Amino acid sequence: MKPELFFKFVSISFQKQVTYRFDCFVGIVNGFLYVFIFTSLWKALYSQFDTTVHNGFTLTAIVTYAVLVMAVRISFTMDDSIIYRKVMDGSIAMELVRPTSFFFMNLAENVGHSLFHTMARTFPIVIISLFLFDISIPFEPVRLLAFLFSFFAGYILISMLNFAAGLLAFWFVEIFPFMLFKYALFTFFSGGIVPIDFFPEFLKPVVNFLPFQYMLYFPTVILTGRVPLAEVHSIIISQLMWILIMGVICSLMWGAGKKKLVIQGG
Amino acid sequence: MQHDNIAIEVTDLRKEFKVSLSGKGFLGKLQALFHRSNKVITAVNDIDFKIRRGEFVGYVGENGAGKSTTIKMLTGILVPTSGTAAVNGIVPYKDRKKNAAKIGVVFGQRTQLWWDLPVRESFDLLRVIFRVSRSDFDRQMEKLEKALGLRPLLEMPVRKLSLGQRMRCDIAAALIHNPPVLFLDEPTIGLDVLAKQSVRNFLSEINRTVGTTIILTTHDMNDIEQLCKRLIILEEGKIMFDGETELLKQKFIHEKVIEVEFYENDCVMQEISGVTVVREQGCKKWLTFDKDNFGIGDVIGTIASQYKIKDISVKEPSVESIIRNIYDNRIKLSTPSNKSFTK
Ligand SMILES: Nc1ncnc2c1ncn2[C@@H]1O[C@H](COP(=O)(O)OP(=O)(O)O)[C@@H](O)[C@H]1O
Ligand SMILES: [Mg+2]
Repeated sequence: MKPELFFKFVSISFQKQVTYRFDCFVGIVNGFLYVFIFTSLWKALYSQFDTTVHNGFTLTAIVTYAVLVMAVRISFTMDDSIIYRKVMDGSIAMELVRPTSFFFMNLAENVGHSLFHTMARTFPIVIISLFLFDISIPFEPVRLLAFLFSFFAGYILISMLNFAAGLLAFWFVEIFPFMLFKYALFTFFSGGIVPIDFFPEFLKPVVNFLPFQYMLYFPTVILTGRVPLAEVHSIIISQLMWILIMGVICSLMWGAGKKKLVIQGG
Repeated sequence: MQHDNIAIEVTDLRKEFKVSLSGKGFLGKLQALFHRSNKVITAVNDIDFKIRRGEFVGYVGENGAGKSTTIKMLTGILVPTSGTAAVNGIVPYKDRKKNAAKIGVVFGQRTQLWWDLPVRESFDLLRVIFRVSRSDFDRQMEKLEKALGLRPLLEMPVRKLSLGQRMRCDIAAALIHNPPVLFLDEPTIGLDVLAKQSVRNFLSEINRTVGTTIILTTHDMNDIEQLCKRLIILEEGKIMFDGETELLKQKFIHEKVIEVEFYENDCVMQEISGVTVVREQGCKKWLTFDKDNFGIGDVIGTIASQYKIKDISVKEPSVESIIRNIYDNRIKLSTPSNKSFTK
């Protein structure tokens, strides 16, 4: 897909979000509430113990993590039922008769969505949090660059996950249960609630076998400084590998799903 | 090459849909959870046809005959169950994007346009999607604007357009990249008589001057009579007739149709042996008759002797009445009076 076209789709999707401004205001409050609950929980938990470092996290480090992981997560907001709705109302037909890649078109729509949430929700929440909480982010330009890279890799991974999950609509009339399951898996195994370091030993092999930690946890800990700069490149290589694997899964599913797709009416 | 002048080639094309029959009520639904009973619907049943470049083909049949399913396969939306299809030498369900670049599609019940965008922006987006150069685009738009009367619509958001206005924009949208092949699935739905005529004039013009191959699905027989030199009639997924519209007419031309208008109090007509009512509209009836056993005079005489007639005339059958009879054939096959239509 030509970049010009990609950004046109991004812009259309962005503008559509602008029309839902009220939802967005609710979203800011909601996101901030989450940040407040999680940081309060960590503070309460840490005050119960004499030791000040748990699983390598000081209180400042864990509060920083809680704020930033939520910030990244809000930036990654996308509508994971887009494909489902397009299949249900049949509008997918009109997209298939255009010489454009369905995957990239979907990615562009996600980007527009996420871009809006980043500007309207992530930024205000981060700025308010900087004043309210004890947050420490190492300021190293290389690290910031690495974070951006890892952030985009994580974004592409989530977009692929949602794409693959959305394609299930080609097979099943109802995909809500799958989406719920995906949401639960993602929220937990991505480190969205608790950093991976706090997981019990028996879960660690499972975590390493799944792509979720490369979506939120690693981009976040690169930014917070928990990962030494020397290890950053191996994380990014793993992310790229997962992008490759997810890419293969998506294209296999797309190939098989095309044959299953039926479009009701007209 | 030999295939150079073939726009569309379809061989043994078949599409089946599996529909799960879930039982009625709670128990039926529960039962369906454990063993699903599937029913297979054959929407398109091993059809063959070839369409040469520049042809204008009417693709007709009753609701559910399989017209849209065929078009969806030719546009790369649906993958056939078996058989093959090629459009411009490209296999649509294998090379969807390549095929899409060379066809235009209008589905009357859907829109290509972006709901929230003004029409002009939708067109501009399609220009980028189809990689049309600015100068080609401007030239084509000027033509489309004039022929379809789009100028007053360009700044309106698509969601505010009436059905007829939207349809005109959709037809323009399908032609922005000047495709060699155009698929129109019920494009005149919702248009008023004037708009219909201007769309027809325009389609006929691009078919004549640009040589665009057009496949048109419609329920409006005026579309067919005015535009389509060739007709493919589909019934329950099978092709019933494929040939020149003129030929169809000639084949049935000796099937004179008697148009009778009765007076109010004689509106209900008893059955007359050998005479079939093909259409009714108030006190107006269109009749055909078994001409092996009756002369036209006999039939008119019989009717005139029994009923008070306001008006009567003998007509050659319209394409509409011919097709209507072909549709009805299956049902009326058993009644001998209608035998002539099975020829
Ligand atoms: N998505 C689908 N699932 C199940 N059956 C379908 C589907 N689409 C079409 N059909 C069936 O296939 C047949 C042909 O439909 P269609 O091609 O839409 O007919 P037409 O366009 O000629 O009215 C109909 O019996 C219809 O019920
Ligand atoms: Mg149809």
